[in-house]
Amino acid sequence: MAVAPTSTALNEPADSVLCAKNLTVGFGEATILNDITVNIGRGHATALIGPTGSGKSTFLRALNRMNDRVSGYRRNGEVTLEGESIFTSGMDLLDLRRKVGMLFQRPNPFPMSIRDNVVAGVKAHRMAKRHQFNDIAEARLTQVGLFDAVKDRLNKSPFQLSGGQQQLLCLARALAVEPDVLLLDEPTSSLDPVTTERVESLIANLVPSISVVIVTHNLGQAQRVSDQTMMFFDGELAEFNTTKELFTNPQHPLSSQYVRGHIG
Amino acid sequence: MTFTLEAPARPRHRRRVSQMIFRAATLFALGLVLIPAIWIVLGIVLRAIPHFSFSVLTHTSAHGGLENAIVGSFIIMVGVAIIAGTIGLGAGIYLAEMSATSQRGQRVDGLLRTATEVLAGVPSIVLGFVGYIALVVGLHWGYSLLPALIILSMMVVPYIAKATENSLAQVPTAYREGAEALGMAPGYALRHVILKTALPGITTGLLVALAIAGGETAPLLYTAGWNDQMPTLALTGHQVPYLTYPVWAFYNQPSNSLRYLSYDAALILIVFIVTLLVVSRIIVARTQRHADIRR
Ligand SMILES: Nc1ncnc2c1ncn2[C@@H]1O[C@H](COP(=O)(O)OP(=O)(O)O)[C@@H](O)[C@H]1O
Ligand SMILES: [Mg+2]
Repeated sequence: MAVAPTSTALNEPADSVLCAKNLTVGFGEATILNDITVNIGRGHATALIGPTGSGKSTFLRALNRMNDRVSGYRRNGEVTLEGESIFTSGMDLLDLRRKVGMLFQRPNPFPMSIRDNVVAGVKAHRMAKRHQFNDIAEARLTQVGLFDAVKDRLNKSPFQLSGGQQQLLCLARALAVEPDVLLLDEPTSSLDPVTTERVESLIANLVPSISVVIVTHNLGQAQRVSDQTMMFFDGELAEFNTTKELFTNPQHPLSSQYVRGHIG
Repeated sequence: MTFTLEAPARPRHRRRVSQMIFRAATLFALGLVLIPAIWIVLGIVLRAIPHFSFSVLTHTSAHGGLENAIVGSFIIMVGVAIIAGTIGLGAGIYLAEMSATSQRGQRVDGLLRTATEVLAGVPSIVLGFVGYIALVVGLHWGYSLLPALIILSMMVVPYIAKATENSLAQVPTAYREGAEALGMAPGYALRHVILKTALPGITTGLLVALAIAGGETAPLLYTAGWNDQMPTLALTGHQVPYLTYPVWAFYNQPSNSLRYLSYDAALILIVFIVTLLVVSRIIVARTQRHADIRR
């Protein structure tokens, strides 16, 4: 089904951290994203909603080029970070990923100690000296509210932590490399309500110094954490609007049905 | 409506019987593997221990001991670990991590895979003979360390490469994506995250390889020769003693003392391999203390 995008002129390019311009993405024969044009506002928390299979993860992964190594991946169109194309040879892929961090649906701590997990990216990017690692680990764990729970087992395996604590650890790890943008792909869908609430309030505290894009199936969560929302449908951007508008006065019939729970 | 208990009870009963048969069969298979192994080890230990003397460890074969063979075997195993370990690890990493992404890589992949399978299928004595013709005679190296290391390495590189590739393939995608999303370079992620996870499998492969190298006789007869003096580190021109030689050659000697030496050599070989096992387990345990799944 062809879907005509309604409002996409929410942010001026100058106020946007990431811009997609006529972005089309496919795997092999299948076209997954069709001609997406959107300006993601700097310092905003942007929710990305839509039915399963509508291309939300694919879009998110296009923003830090995580699709590059997927077999059959093809792309048309442009993505810019602070006005600069992320696809030019001048763009350092590793630095792009440092600036545009990512948190996955399932927590994925590395098989190393809790402390080493937090500073893994810091080490890889040589962002600090060895003697600073302890302080960085403590600061980041404190930031995500995990330090008190793990301060006696910083040298222990992260896999003894609960799923929620593991996800917080992954958040600390992502924050430690000081990203400008954080891409979150259903970060709370495997967490209990209490931790979910923790993650949501953390996200609220990250903006505006970090721009956040969060994929979520939880419409309540989209309304709690975001101020702008993209609605995807079948690989197309059906609507992009302020969260308030999109949920109270949706412009597009599909978003109207979706936010009222009729599809998805 | 009436219920009959017979109908469901029957299949359940049958299932229990088949389960018991299956369990008995697996136990039998386990015994088939374990009992001969225990028998062999016990046989060696019981024959070697009664007249074992520590002077065996401090005298060369020229003086009725095995010191030269122990040192020789040690040198050979370390050499194989270095040569075959490096090549096998590199080939395994290439197969698992690099070859999938490019077309040329996939062609090399196919070639390497075929070579691996062919090499694994060639009897060791044939490889030894090839080594003898090509290296010992052909290149005038004589019976010596280098041809032995090359031939043994050719034998075990496939094991190490296969083990490396398999254990890398089992590393969860979540680790790879996590490392990628943090902006780790592929090589950095490999060294700091992925190889660590794959280490138990790789270590096991290396261990099997070393055990094979330590336990081989035929290819060494053709390449290393034998020497009743202490071995040197010279790569060519000097024959190298090793533990499997006395096991094989002294056993059929008429003198009792030589026969005892062959038991001793077998015992020391077993100790070698058990030590290898224990050390590798310790390494694995130390590096895997943060692992997701303990192996
Ligand atoms: N690596 C891939 N190869 C082929 N098709 C894929 C791949 N990844 C995702 N897809 C397809 O792209 C579509 C969108 O997937 P995804 O972006 O994960 O959707 P969402 O996150 O909105 O649920 C789905 O139909 C999925 O089957
Ligand atoms: Mg998804």
